[in-house]
Amino acid sequence: MSKRLLLLGQWLLLLWFSPSLWAQAPCSFTLKGRVVDAHTREPVPFAIVAVKDQDIGALADEKGNYELENLCAGKYLLICTHVGCHHSEHEVDLKGDMRWDFELEEESIVLQEVVVQGEAPVLESTQSSTTLDAAGLQSQRGLSLGAALSQLPGLSTLNTGATIAKPVIQGLHSNRVLILNNGVRQESQQWGAEHAPEIDPFLADKVTVIKGAGSVRYGSDAIGGVVLVEPRSLRQQPGIGGEANLQGFSNGRTGIASGLLEGRLKGKLPLSGRLQGTLKRGGNLRTPDYYLDNTGVEELNFSWAASLQQKRWSTEAFYSRFYTRLGIFSGSHIGNLTDLRNAIERERPPDDGAFTYELGRPLQRIYHELFKWKASLETGQAGTLQLQLARQFNRRQEFDAHRQYGSLPDALESPQIEFEITTHTAELNWEHRPIRHLWGNFGAHFMRQANTTDRGALIPNYENYTAGAYWIERWKNYPFPLELEGGLRYDYQWMDVGRQGQDSIGRQLEFSNFSGTIGAIYRFPGLLNLRFNTGTAWRAPNVNELFSNGVHHGAASFEEGNPNLSSERAFNTSLTAEVDGQGKLRGSLSLFYNVINDFIFLEPRAEPVLTIRGAFPAFNYAQADARLAGLDWQLAYELMPGLELESKGSLLDARNRERREYLSLMPPFRFEHGLKYTFRKDGSAEPEAPFLRISMANVPEQTRVPANADYAPPPPGYTLFQLEGGAHFRLGRQPLELGFTVFNLFDASYRQYLNRFRYFAHETGRNVSLRLRLPFEVNSGKR
Amino acid sequence: MQFPNFNFLRFLFVFLAAGALLWSGCEKDDDDGPDNEEELITTVRLTFTDGGGNTSTFTFSDVDGIGGNPPVAQDITLSANSTYQMDIEFLDESNSANVKDITEEVREEAEEHLICFAASGVLDIPVTLDTDGNGAPLGLKTELATAQAGIGTLAIVLKHEPEKAAANPCNTGETDVEASFDVIVQ
Repeated sequence: MSKRLLLLGQWLLLLWFSPSLWAQAPCSFTLKGRVVDAHTREPVPFAIVAVKDQDIGALADEKGNYELENLCAGKYLLICTHVGCHHSEHEVDLKGDMRWDFELEEESIVLQEVVVQGEAPVLESTQSSTTLDAAGLQSQRGLSLGAALSQLPGLSTLNTGATIAKPVIQGLHSNRVLILNNGVRQESQQWGAEHAPEIDPFLADKVTVIKGAGSVRYGSDAIGGVVLVEPRSLRQQPGIGGEANLQGFSNGRTGIASGLLEGRLKGKLPLSGRLQGTLKRGGNLRTPDYYLDNTGVEELNFSWAASLQQKRWSTEAFYSRFYTRLGIFSGSHIGNLTDLRNAIERERPPDDGAFTYELGRPLQRIYHELFKWKASLETGQAGTLQLQLARQFNRRQEFDAHRQYGSLPDALESPQIEFEITTHTAELNWEHRPIRHLWGNFGAHFMRQANTTDRGALIPNYENYTAGAYWIERWKNYPFPLELEGGLRYDYQWMDVGRQGQDSIGRQLEFSNFSGTIGAIYRFPGLLNLRFNTGTAWRAPNVNELFSNGVHHGAASFEEGNPNLSSERAFNTSLTAEVDGQGKLRGSLSLFYNVINDFIFLEPRAEPVLTIRGAFPAFNYAQADARLAGLDWQLAYELMPGLELESKGSLLDARNRERREYLSLMPPFRFEHGLKYTFRKDGSAEPEAPFLRISMANVPEQTRVPANADYAPPPPGYTLFQLEGGAHFRLGRQPLELGFTVFNLFDASYRQYLNRFRYFAHETGRNVSLRLRLPFEVNSGKR
Repeated sequence: MQFPNFNFLRFLFVFLAAGALLWSGCEKDDDDGPDNEEELITTVRLTFTDGGGNTSTFTFSDVDGIGGNPPVAQDITLSANSTYQMDIEFLDESNSANVKDITEEVREEAEEHLICFAASGVLDIPVTLDTDGNGAPLGLKTELATAQAGIGTLAIVLKHEPEKAAANPCNTGETDVEASFDVIVQ
């Protein structure tokens, strides 16, 4: 049946059964329950539940609850349907009041399985996970990916000044966090604290964060967690549409334009396509008291995607290109430890700066390109086979504050550091059809990587080959409340390390090991879902940890790698309680306990390194057993219709068990409380109702730091307020979405412990953002 | 088993076409090889000229760059109650077959450079004689007067992009060189 007919049919049904039900008079039994998404377990609003071949039916409410009243005893064949979902049938033998919950398979989810491999097991993760959906992303639009994620419980950012933010999951970041960009492992120079993910946040329609060692499915190294960045699925209806986004920020006078055009051919060749691009330009940012010199940014990104869906197979190609030039706060550039001490004593930069869009040195110029191709084939009754090939290229250039002495005139504009890394990945996944109540998939992953350090000698040239295989099974027998999951993975890595600067290293390294996870979900319907997961994963030492050799500018430290490091081994346990309710309370709370043996960290040396530039504190990469434990939550309580009280929090305690001290650079506690008012007309639950939210984030001083391991004590705690609102309008037939956010509403002056530039400057002051979203439909596929 | 609606040829075509695209037309590693020809300052050379035109030179050098062996400084020996002209040179001696003089570059970019001094013991801070294009001090050429005999230290700091207008310009900018000598005045 065509989509259009289905839609028409639904409307007819809706009219027919509206508002609630048709009754058979002499009978008095009630059948009620919920309609939920089979994958996400989220309620499916406004589904239709009907009895086959009879005029009995009901429309579920916005929380997925339905009720059929006044039923007689007997057998009924119930059908539950919803636009965009496969319908679900179930026969009940009614002898009294009864409850039956429907699970609907969303058609778009099935299509997403085409887009993002193995999506289903992720969404049902037994691990603690949190999602920033399209609405949540809307209010974070214009921020970098790292900054947008930092609003989620358990997440924070590792910043380098005001322009670079990396996501931190429960205290872990960089190589311990894996980012999947549209199903492909993001491979760049992710080891660097000042190397932010090269992803256009406007491409994301949904971002899911899996906290803890989620590596059985995604790779051996994600012992901190996985960030899944998913673009919206390609258009299903014939026609052409799209959206335009315009945004401005007062701080830095930043302007962003992002557009998306998508279409689908009608007729026999169901080809869908999408073109997307983002342009961003910002100037010097401002703290409450002064400008941050050279903190402008330029970004130019575009992507295209095309997919072809046939009955038994589908294929998708995706290409994206990310380019940015971003300034590094000039006040952060120092030559040695004395300069750093001077900067700390100054308490603020020597001059107050001025506004400009001009970018000067020091700056970073980064280019990232991704090409991916994916095919999915239904293998008879047995399951689905998916193949994904991807190629990525990343070029990172860093320009120091001043050119090298003796540079030739034509080299004046050349960078001091240049890395180029090319990565090819291949993934094969086979998802078998459920065998009784067992769902599962297995697959293999291959990666080849070549890095050349064209300038600078911070890390060597190397080639890296990895291969892995995994098998995950899940037992579920809905509506039985217990679900079980288990997975196993084996990875092998071989590395050939070549030249580093003028030195030839010529070493081959090999690492291999197992990862495993077991988990369970137990549901108390209408009350609580409990998720438990325990897993073990490992991470091979990264090339910078093995071979780093040089001065880290901006940190005024000399770092030396250790080629004899062994792999880290993590044991992660988490327990999450999720309110499963139609009640006034929503949200979840998770506890985690993460032991990482042979945790790799930078250990200060007793003696500084003396150089012709002066003294630099020296650090060696060392290993010790570590333990990270904590708690994070996100709860919302409906105080009165339309008014919600929200609470979020992240607590972390991270220790080096061998040295009996805290780990350095771990996120401080964070609490956020807010009030959200939604302007609803007569209690209806339109998701696009206008809203206003005010929130207060409180971050106390980080006191869990090792003694005498920092140049300055952690900055004091701070409280920030944020105000935001949004509304949907219609100009004639043109829908329009307007929103605003005021970050740091009261222009508070503060520093963050997890900002590597906290020694040099304060954080940015008040920032008012206005955004406009214009979805459009050029041709709705009239036939 | 029947495969209705399944056009294997069409599948194969798309498969191969996409595969071909994947390996072509993308940005490549330009692979111009490692470029590590940047120059370092490895050596500070001080030349002292007394009133009679007699010269003596002393060096502070870290020829193997950062890490490896620590820098080596020669002890400066001066006569008491004398006035010297002190000239500073910065050299790249990392390749002994091709020693490069970086002093001229510092002089050319005089507005962006400043040489700061610190002295202890019997020594006074040298008096800067040269200036940049804006008339602000530079410090490649200085005058050093000694008084009584004894020992002391002399530190030479080359600053890049200091705030020359600041109250204490030597506390600003980036340190390119920090060389400390022991001094014997006899």
